[in-house]
Amino acid sequence: MTTSIVYFNQGPLPSQDQGTGLRSRRTRVQIPAGPLLIVLSILLFRAHDILKSPLNQRRLILVEESLTAGTHMHRRLITYIVGLGVLAFAFWLVMTFLKNPEIQSLPYYTFRTLLRITITLGISVAWGVSFGILASTNKTASIILVPFIDLLQSVPILGYFPAVLILFVSLFQGSELAIELSAILLLFTSMAWAIFFGVVGAVKGIPVNVVESARGFGLKGFKYARHVILPAIVPALVSGVTLAWCDGWFFMIAAEYIEYAGTTYWVPGLGSFLAKASYVYDDVALSIILLVLITAIVVYINFLTWHRLMERATAGTYKPVLKLDLSGVGQLGVIKAIGPSRWLHFGDRIHWPKAHIAGSHRLRRYTRLEKAIALVLALSLVSFIVYLIVPQISLDAIKRGFSSYPADELANLPSYVALTMGRLGIAYIISLSVALGMGILAAEHKKFAAVFYPIYDIGQAVPILALFPVLFIALSRTFGGVVGLEITSIVMLILDMIWYMFLNIVSATKNIPSEIREVGKLFGFKGFKRITHVVIPCILPAIVTGSILSWGTGWNTIIFSEYMPYGANTIYLDPATINQNYTAYEMVVVSLNVSDVTGLRTWQTQVNFNASHLQCINATEGEFLKSAGKTQFKNGTIDSASGLIGPINSTLLESGQGVSGSGQIAKIYFRVLRSDNSEISLSEKTKMLDSDGRIIPTSKAYSLPGLGSYLDKTGYLYGNTILLILLLGIIATIVLLMEALLWRRLLRKVERYHAEV
Amino acid sequence: MPVLEVRDVTKTFPLEKSKISVLEDVSFSVDRDEFVCLVGPSGCGKSTMLRIIAGLEKADSGEVLFHGQPQTLPNPKITMIFQLFGLLPWKTALENVEVPLEVHGMKKETRVEISRSYLRMVGLEGFENTYPHDLSGGMKQRVGIARALALQPEVLLMDEPFSSLDELTAKTLRELVLEIWRDPSLPTNTFVMVSHNVEEAVYMADRVIIMSPRPGRVVGEVKVNLPRPRTQYLRDQKYFQSVDEVVAILEKSQHEAQVKSQIA
Repeated sequence: MTTSIVYFNQGPLPSQDQGTGLRSRRTRVQIPAGPLLIVLSILLFRAHDILKSPLNQRRLILVEESLTAGTHMHRRLITYIVGLGVLAFAFWLVMTFLKNPEIQSLPYYTFRTLLRITITLGISVAWGVSFGILASTNKTASIILVPFIDLLQSVPILGYFPAVLILFVSLFQGSELAIELSAILLLFTSMAWAIFFGVVGAVKGIPVNVVESARGFGLKGFKYARHVILPAIVPALVSGVTLAWCDGWFFMIAAEYIEYAGTTYWVPGLGSFLAKASYVYDDVALSIILLVLITAIVVYINFLTWHRLMERATAGTYKPVLKLDLSGVGQLGVIKAIGPSRWLHFGDRIHWPKAHIAGSHRLRRYTRLEKAIALVLALSLVSFIVYLIVPQISLDAIKRGFSSYPADELANLPSYVALTMGRLGIAYIISLSVALGMGILAAEHKKFAAVFYPIYDIGQAVPILALFPVLFIALSRTFGGVVGLEITSIVMLILDMIWYMFLNIVSATKNIPSEIREVGKLFGFKGFKRITHVVIPCILPAIVTGSILSWGTGWNTIIFSEYMPYGANTIYLDPATINQNYTAYEMVVVSLNVSDVTGLRTWQTQVNFNASHLQCINATEGEFLKSAGKTQFKNGTIDSASGLIGPINSTLLESGQGVSGSGQIAKIYFRVLRSDNSEISLSEKTKMLDSDGRIIPTSKAYSLPGLGSYLDKTGYLYGNTILLILLLGIIATIVLLMEALLWRRLLRKVERYHAEV
Repeated sequence: MPVLEVRDVTKTFPLEKSKISVLEDVSFSVDRDEFVCLVGPSGCGKSTMLRIIAGLEKADSGEVLFHGQPQTLPNPKITMIFQLFGLLPWKTALENVEVPLEVHGMKKETRVEISRSYLRMVGLEGFENTYPHDLSGGMKQRVGIARALALQPEVLLMDEPFSSLDELTAKTLRELVLEIWRDPSLPTNTFVMVSHNVEEAVYMADRVIIMSPRPGRVVGEVKVNLPRPRTQYLRDQKYFQSVDEVVAILEKSQHEAQVKSQIA
């Protein structure tokens, strides 16, 4: 295949006049801010510990009880003000001492994110309440809605997000509104379920006798809703809103900063700032500080609002509701990804969600009618999407999709699937065994629980995507790049999968009926035998549901965990900084180098510089590519006003394998206008191709063969939408097949024998 | 020497910040071949008393003696049947009966054989491979009884065994339990039952021990001197006299408790 001129996508760029220019997708971490990390995690740990220890909670209750209403309010007010003061101080501290060009926008970013989440929350509540009531009171609506929502839930959110984004961008012609709307939509898809299922659960939980007596007194229509339904759903709504809120914070990082086919889409906010801190500024300290700051904001707002609401709302409920108080687990932290919240809508008496019941609710057996409707809905949804996409993607485009890179790797797909499934399988087995051990211990031993819960809380509050680079550095130092990545990938998956298992196991173990426990004790089951013969069989439904959730979230994580850029760039400027040692009118030759490339045949770039400091004179080709034969070189045009030269490109005209190794590909001549410090950087448009037309990545990366890295390559490196849709389809198929063939069957079997304990 | 001797047992449970006293200086004894019934209002701690005897709960003070030896841990010679049957839902009827035998390391073949024979005895032949989910309440309790007998215990404790069954089923099962009690070929001959149904207690027991409202104390004892089998005496004057006697003691203690709480 021959390539002449490379086509580049355009899109809004993140400001990036920093560093050597080329921005890799993930953090290129060179120095882990080790000591800082330790100090901060201790601080974070202590904060959680103090806030959430059951002891403290008890003390809080005592304090509250012993105070009169007046002083009570007084104290609360003081807490709020002190909290606000602490936050403001933290902001001031961060903004004063951190050197980052965007740090002054931090309050604005915070405001934008808060606004975004609040708007989405409003939409989610409106949708959740109206549709929830509809689905739980109207049989026809339920038959249509519930399978539909199940369907929407089964597709990994991060998977279908690019499609949504592209749709919006094409609808709004790339204006910021498009990104804003798709961010809100992504947040909505992560927030709405908790509220919807909470409402459905609460309405269905209204005791029959209450419904009947209300009917008996002639309550109908709006009056019925006002006096019976609304009071019943308030607690579920509050807990749903809290969970949705926490979920929203987690997804914010994914929603505010999206990269697709080499273009970055972002909206101002804390999430995009956090993403930029890693991807653009490469600043580990900043990302950790931002993480802590976000956690603090979430904790403060939770304390201010939801916690207070929860106290009031749980008073007059029919059945105990999942109570989100300070002694619970994971309610104040930034609750982890991919919505565990969906499953937390059924309450129970010990402040633990009966996740296994919730799960079985979703996986209940459908009637034939429901199945048919689900099928029709799925088909119409698919055809609607096809209808939307088809006018934009012609048959030619589909053909092109299958004939361009990385379609050549399609033959490896079975082995990729096997490898990825293997990784997921190993991670699953490890998470299962660890979660079993820890979960049963935590449920049955108060002392262990007291130590373990704070760790659990922090563990699940840390956004995994941000943890990835740090973990990789630590592991790759010991084990080397590829093995390090393999271990990192599995550890990441474990960290992601284990919480669902753990949560389900603890709640189920705590809910083992006392008679079953007594029978075990009476007949002399002890130690390990008791675990295998009494506890594990009893919590088996919860284990199955936990497994389903784990695999679901595992698929989301695998997309991110098989590919790891590691700092060094394959194409870079030398020097990238022109400092004060150069005097005015001095000439500087900046060398454009490649390092460790394989089979380079054509390259293209564009160079940004500070126009008030430097004047660009010219660009000439270096010796690297020319060493293989004749080349066609273009030195680009110079834009002195905005400080840009490009596109500079060169293509090897000889046929052959291209050039491998390291060397200089171009020289760029500058004249210093005045003595100062400034940076020269390569733009987004930098691209290198080999003689087969494959993209040579601009940063060095370790990559594990697997479905995740293939998806990564397809979407983020080549932007091959057709292939991306195919791969997502394959993943969705595997997920649904596993659910239909394995989990549903297992659950049905297990539940049959557990129906009445 | 009595088989079971309960001496000054006291028990409190922690309740939020305070403690709640459930049993206060409870003493009684049960002889060999005796059928004793504990009756009292709900919440008087009779089930807790039974659990202390079984070794499932620990007494705060006082002790339970089994053949003169302190009894604090679960003991294969003392077994129990539960109000809600306590069957393991993931095991079949047969496997449920096998459970205690399995724990004691019996071989698969022997324990299947024994379990089958006990299931036959309680009239569940043909239901060996049925899961509890598919059994009726009465059948579940039959499995519970078979399981309790499988280890050939001396003492059978029963915690309101018939109160979650309909009256007809309960009646049949009462007869089954009495048959087992009378059967000389079975080593299980000392029965302690907890009930809040006075008629049931008088019908089944040799001796009815009456407990006061919480904290539970022994407030009286009624010996039932009706000859067995008692089916024919159900309309007899003597039977009603015993029932009245028990009810009178119960009402008196309840009244006293009310007065006490009013004063407090």
